Amino acid sequence: MELGIVGRISKGSKMDQIYLPKNRLGEGLSAGSYVFIKPLVSAESDKLKRESSEKPILYGLPMISNIKLYFCKEIFKTIEKYFDSMDNIILVGSFLNDGFNFKDIDLLIINEKEKKNEKLKTILEERFGVIFHIIQLTKSELMKGLASDPLYENMLSKCIAKKRIVFNIKRVIDPELLDFHLLKSKTLIYNFDMLNGKDKYYMTKNMIAILLFIEGKKISNQSISKAIKEIFNIEQSCIEENLIEKKEFLLIYKKTYKKVFNLIMDILKKRKGNGSE
Amino acid sequence: MVQNRNKLIDLLIGNLYNAVLHRILEKAIIQKKPEIAGGYNKEVKNSWEIAKSYREKINPKTNALPIEDMEFIRKKVINRVKSELLIRISKGYENLRLDEVDAIVDIVMKEIKII
Repeated sequence: MELGIVGRISKGSKMDQIYLPKNRLGEGLSAGSYVFIKPLVSAESDKLKRESSEKPILYGLPMISNIKLYFCKEIFKTIEKYFDSMDNIILVGSFLNDGFNFKDIDLLIINEKEKKNEKLKTILEERFGVIFHIIQLTKSELMKGLASDPLYENMLSKCIAKKRIVFNIKRVIDPELLDFHLLKSKTLIYNFDMLNGKDKYYMTKNMIAILLFIEGKKISNQSISKAIKEIFNIEQSCIEENLIEKKEFLLIYKKTYKKVFNLIMDILKKRKGNGSE
Repeated sequence: MVQNRNKLIDLLIGNLYNAVLHRILEKAIIQKKPEIAGGYNKEVKNSWEIAKSYREKINPKTNALPIEDMEFIRKKVINRVKSELLIRISKGYENLRLDEVDAIVDIVMKEIKII
């Protein structure tokens, strides 16, 4: 009786191998005989199986609900079908918060070649019925952004990625870029009465993220909330719900803004004084 | 009522100057650093949108403002932008075009129907 054996290819240092048990039944499998090896499953089904078992990678999230995980996988699949090649897909923003209190889905697509956000945005919005904000970047742009931009660091402190992200990046303090970002927070000073809680929180968060970045501290939603509590003596939720005392808040806000601006200008002056960019 | 109008013009100036400054800094930086996270959190109100909403509250809403208001706003915005830029230039900031301020302010004022 001629039998076959199912084996698994194991990795060797120079050659890979399949081990056969010494006590085996059947003919044609004696030592020295020639055998024909072929895959048990086709390459296509193997790929499909691998893809379905691939889990998205969670950063800064202890867990995520199954329904959101399913949603993530479907988003990744839709985007992958759309591009010929793809380095990574990263979901960020309010979609990752607990519950379903999100208005849109923010995602980063890391890709070396094509830039066709608008068409993809329409496809995703038609398929999922949610507004998508897409930022498409090359790998090196993402790395540069992560090294020099506090917003990137904050954005990626909580995210779900298709593939692993290398976070081992040395911070580069770029005073011109930080000055540009800080200006967004100045809007609060003139328009306190007009802004809603969400805008006020974003502007405060932006300023504090820049401060933490300059001070070499970790940037995440938690660390920003903690710093806000320390500086303003107020909870994040109070700002978001617009439950703040104007005079007191603005006084601290202006003082902090000035401090951050002066820190940036001092760095700029030092750099230019040393003749280094 | 007049007091209210003056306050609105003051708020308009504050936001216009911030919006112009933002445009100038963006222009100086964007070519050097295309990776800036400009696309993120765009839904949060910025100075330009707020300036537009203040303008909509000042009469005449659809036509240009009276010449004295127009000149007052123009002068104030230009001076504030220039003084902000000079602070930066004194610290060593490069590529900031002081000579372009007047022209950018005029464009912005047209866009917002002040002139």
